[in-house]
Amino acid sequence: MIRDKSIVYGGLILYKAVAELKAEAARTYLSFLWWVLEPLMTMAIFYLVFGLFLQSGRKDFVPFLLIGLIFWNGFSNTVLHGASALLDNGPLMLQTYIPKWVFPLIVVVMDGIKFALVFVLLLLYLWLYGFRPTWSYLALIPLLGIWMTWTVAATLLAAALVPFLPDLRLLIASLLQLMFFASGVFFAADAIPESYRAWFYANPMAALITAFRAVLMEGTWPMWSNLWPVVLESGGLLVVAVLMLWRWDRLYPKLIGG
Amino acid sequence: MRRLVLEIRGAGVRYRQPRTWRHRSQRWALREVNLELYHGESLALVGGNGAGKSTLLKLIAGIFAPDRGRVINHGVSVSLLALQLGFIPYLSGRDNIFLSGLLLGLRYKEIARRLESIVEFAELAHCIDDPVRTYSTGMQMRLGFSIAIQIEPDVLLVDEVLGVGDAAFHRKSSQALREKILAHDKTVVLVSHQKETIKELCNRAAWMDQGTIRAAGPVDEILALYEANGGTPS
Repeated sequence: MIRDKSIVYGGLILYKAVAELKAEAARTYLSFLWWVLEPLMTMAIFYLVFGLFLQSGRKDFVPFLLIGLIFWNGFSNTVLHGASALLDNGPLMLQTYIPKWVFPLIVVVMDGIKFALVFVLLLLYLWLYGFRPTWSYLALIPLLGIWMTWTVAATLLAAALVPFLPDLRLLIASLLQLMFFASGVFFAADAIPESYRAWFYANPMAALITAFRAVLMEGTWPMWSNLWPVVLESGGLLVVAVLMLWRWDRLYPKLIGG
Repeated sequence: MRRLVLEIRGAGVRYRQPRTWRHRSQRWALREVNLELYHGESLALVGGNGAGKSTLLKLIAGIFAPDRGRVINHGVSVSLLALQLGFIPYLSGRDNIFLSGLLLGLRYKEIARRLESIVEFAELAHCIDDPVRTYSTGMQMRLGFSIAIQIEPDVLLVDEVLGVGDAAFHRKSSQALREKILAHDKTVVLVSHQKETIKELCNRAAWMDQGTIRAAGPVDEILALYEANGGTPS
């Protein structure tokens, strides 16, 4: 019975994610080209500001910056969209019963598909730039797994909390901005004084971005010791978020519609 | 002996919405409701605006949980007849059939199997691949109804909508819904203000007022009681 239901909701998540993406593409003239153009434009702006105007002097700064940006944006976009996931579906959940974890997961699939596209482009760029694939690429499998768990956990948590206080959406946007500057997107961990570095790595995105750079640019294995805390944080957060969505499953329609 | 499919015991539902930090609102939409639903019956809910009829339907459908009391479901599926559920105007009629159908709990294969009859019933075969936003309101309603009528829950909940569209389609759609309601193994709860419809379709009625069920029983008795107390079913 439970397996039966998960298949039904799994199908719904995939179908609705693809449908929403199609609708999004249908709304613009360049349609799904925007999935590539938009991140390219963001990256171009960052390259102008941090790569040209504020010369960092770091060797290979462009690939360094792009790796940081792509993983950051993938995370941040998903969380921001997830924060509205339940609010946006108010009318729907007042007409039929759907478990509420379905809605943020639709967002995760949508942004996941867009991320996958940009990630492939990143790999192509890195190879053209001269960073060849190495055996350390195998580490990408667990790394992407941890990154996704962390992203899903934060997205579900945002979705679970916002209906209680819609103002939280604004707070989450500010929080993400703060976190962006603390995640080492345009600087490396060695720019942080030794005594603060443990704090720096306590931020899952900082630890993950550092690890992705080690694999993609240096061809080395990531420092696993920095990643265990991320696994624990993500796992813990995921459990909390799922419990909240489950506990208040039939309360959300009243908060949002009613 | 009639089989009990769902019972509600002393249930209350409270809307509590934090408007702004200065204004909070709290309102018991249902105060204390006791209700039993039996297999195969058609129950009409009558009552004025704000009596709690729609909230009660949402409670029966499992969309809301009661804030006090209990809802006991004896293993039946319950669905509200929801028109144009989750429609995305930028997508084709065909895509929206699948989307809406999945949201209503139908399986993909099931929808694919019924696709042709849905399109035919909606009379939209000529434009089913056009975006729904190019449809007229009437066409959108026809499509919405044709999908919604596909659901086969054990307990069907209907909130006022009995037919949609122009005169001809209204006749056709209400006929389809009537057949569904009158099917002998189907349990139905119907909110309606139309006396004739209630008399035709229902074998029991409940009169709701200020968040409670004031009386329940045979349709004629309850309608008479409701009218005697100022109610005006048309």
